[in-house]
Amino acid sequence: MGSSVRKGRAVQQAEPPRRAAKEDFHQVTQNTNNGRAITASRTEASTKSSTKSKDAELILQIQSYIDKNTVVIFSNTTCSLSTKVKELFKSMKVPYFSLELDQTENGQKLQEALYQLTLETSVPVVFVQQQQIGNYSKTLKAHEEGKLQKLLEMNGPNHLQESYDYDLIVIGGGSGGLAAAKEAVKYDKKVMVLDYVTPTPLGTSWGLGGTCVNVGCIPKKLMHQAALLGQALKDSHKFGWQFTEEAVKHSWETMTEAVQNYIGSLNWGYRVALRDNKVTYENAYGEFVGPHTIKATNTKGKEKLYTAEKFIIATGERPRYLNIPGDKEYCISSDDLFSLPYCPGKTLVVGASYVALECAGFLAGIGLDVTVMVRSILLRGFDQEMANKIGEHMEEHGIKFIKQFVPIKVEQIEEGTPGKLKVIAKSTTGSQTIEGEYNTVLLAVGRDACTRKIGLDKVGVKINKKSGKIPANDEEQTNVPYIYAIGDVLEDKLELTPVAIQAGRLLTRRLYAGATLKCDYVNVPTTVFTPMEYGACGFSEERALEKFGENNIEVYHSFFWPLEWTVPGRDNNKCYAKIICNIQDNERIIGFHVLGPNAGEVTQGFAAAIKCGLTKEKLDSTIGIHPVCAEIFTTLSVTKRSGGNVVQSGC
Amino acid sequence: MGWEEKPVRGYAEFARTAQQHHGRPIFVLFSGDKDAAGHSWCPDCVTAEPVIRGELHNMPEGSIFIYCQVGDRAYWKDPNNKFRKNLKLTGVPTLLKYGTPQKLVEEECFKADLVRMLFTED
Repeated sequence: MGSSVRKGRAVQQAEPPRRAAKEDFHQVTQNTNNGRAITASRTEASTKSSTKSKDAELILQIQSYIDKNTVVIFSNTTCSLSTKVKELFKSMKVPYFSLELDQTENGQKLQEALYQLTLETSVPVVFVQQQQIGNYSKTLKAHEEGKLQKLLEMNGPNHLQESYDYDLIVIGGGSGGLAAAKEAVKYDKKVMVLDYVTPTPLGTSWGLGGTCVNVGCIPKKLMHQAALLGQALKDSHKFGWQFTEEAVKHSWETMTEAVQNYIGSLNWGYRVALRDNKVTYENAYGEFVGPHTIKATNTKGKEKLYTAEKFIIATGERPRYLNIPGDKEYCISSDDLFSLPYCPGKTLVVGASYVALECAGFLAGIGLDVTVMVRSILLRGFDQEMANKIGEHMEEHGIKFIKQFVPIKVEQIEEGTPGKLKVIAKSTTGSQTIEGEYNTVLLAVGRDACTRKIGLDKVGVKINKKSGKIPANDEEQTNVPYIYAIGDVLEDKLELTPVAIQAGRLLTRRLYAGATLKCDYVNVPTTVFTPMEYGACGFSEERALEKFGENNIEVYHSFFWPLEWTVPGRDNNKCYAKIICNIQDNERIIGFHVLGPNAGEVTQGFAAAIKCGLTKEKLDSTIGIHPVCAEIFTTLSVTKRSGGNVVQSGC
Repeated sequence: MGWEEKPVRGYAEFARTAQQHHGRPIFVLFSGDKDAAGHSWCPDCVTAEPVIRGELHNMPEGSIFIYCQVGDRAYWKDPNNKFRKNLKLTGVPTLLKYGTPQKLVEEECFKADLVRMLFTED
């Protein structure tokens, strides 16, 4: 297949993986890369189907590992000689890159390609400064003869790579960070996770797991469930359950205790998982202090420095405040709500985000007096027809809305748990001001990325000055090649737990297991857990119109009435289904929207179908399940274009 | 002051003892009963006990270590036994920090560093 010995031209480790074309002295055995430097084979190598070029791809991939790392060990997690050779380099305090072929995608094929390249019949196969050393015994011999030292010092002792404390340090122990860390250890990497929660202005803090587990998705959904159960109790009379209304009471304390208990078990579970997987976890605030170096400050103020070859920033976001008098002293945010030790009472929710509407929804659902103060539109970025339906439903069910006002001052009238607060708000359309009294003011006006105080300037990581978010390429790499970012800190990416988890896992596989798959951010399904739940996948109607034009999309829609709601007689013709089709592409479904119970459960399956390229025809030929809400999607026939009536009557 | 061990048998005695020491850190090891010769019917409990005892010195000052024998194998297997019902225990051995969701179950108890983590970290 061609010469396998690469004579030493050192590769500077500091160079980014994407190199401009260099004088290429490497023997390229296939011609897929004529005249172009060998860069990461994953993007350059072609995807032709012939075996010959698949081999070429693999060889290029192997070559790229050899080129990019001072010491490379092609290894196997079960091989004792591989372990021994790693020990050898560890004893020399020389860092190495090891590729575990039994854990790598295409591992078997890579091993065959490796044999073709090196003629070594098994692992480990060691390369130092692009020079093939060989198997364990050859490596040991080279070490004893001083050959390894000579190679390593080839470019002068100051070019000798420092030995890093860790292969990977993950800053942030949330959905993204933990997923990445747990994946990395599968490939035998030394990983540290730093997680630290700066207490809220009111002093609230929480354990390992990030926003989703502690102050996001998990407690939100549990409290939403509490509200749904309240509604179910009301419905149950019509189904024959007999009890007096007075007997039904809700205890905030019982609910929060149960929720916090569950969260505690999750925090603990993560601690056990990390420890069990040999991930070093420190409850400490991480900030960069220099290249490859981070300072970790624990709760007692003790500082420690750590170095790593690579970093992943997964620090997430925290709720924004309004910068008005009284906001930090008297208002709470979602960070405080889920562990509030007392019932919030009469509540003003400021904001129109899904956080605001979901919280307003369940607070009202457990019987509290709730008002939502909205500056302009509801659920910015979401399909506005659906957003307005959500708002209408909330209003019909007793939640008050104050629209086009913003708070300008919050004063305390009475101390207490809860106390009494006075809110003064100003109109956005005129000079009118209004006042209101509430027990609790919950601010849900947006979230800010935690990137401004982690020393990014010390390592040159660029952030968006306005939003604080980090721009990254489609491989989650920042402008500094050894620093990556995942999750809510990323610019222009969806702020969702499963997205962060997927991005974290795939990133780690690309870094350490030779994988090439990138995170697919298209057609990510979401659900808003307002009292009337909303599930969506793909384009909103506005975005579809903007992108494709009115004449090229067909919108099918219908109201529906869940069977379970017929007997209690509620909310007829409120649940709503809508799909948006691309006429020019076989009426491909490009937008899916459902307003109704169990919206998340309904949407998940359709998201998979959309990924498979679902068309209207295929959808129509799918037989519905009866009697369920989702079956409406298999019988949609009225288009918006036709102006036909979609009000339902009967089965 | 160090720490104190309280051996108990059965749910009632366990509950009483835990209540008595309310306010102190309480760690409980639930194990299958030992016979007259000191052998437990639960093989995992036999494996776990020395590992756990080896880490007891890491418990915070003033801790109470309750060693609770849950009953014979038949009682344990009964899905309605008091430990399953009231404490939601799912297996023996279970080592837990009383009043918190922190616990180690079965094979987790064999790992000294997990036991140490339970005893030392918040």
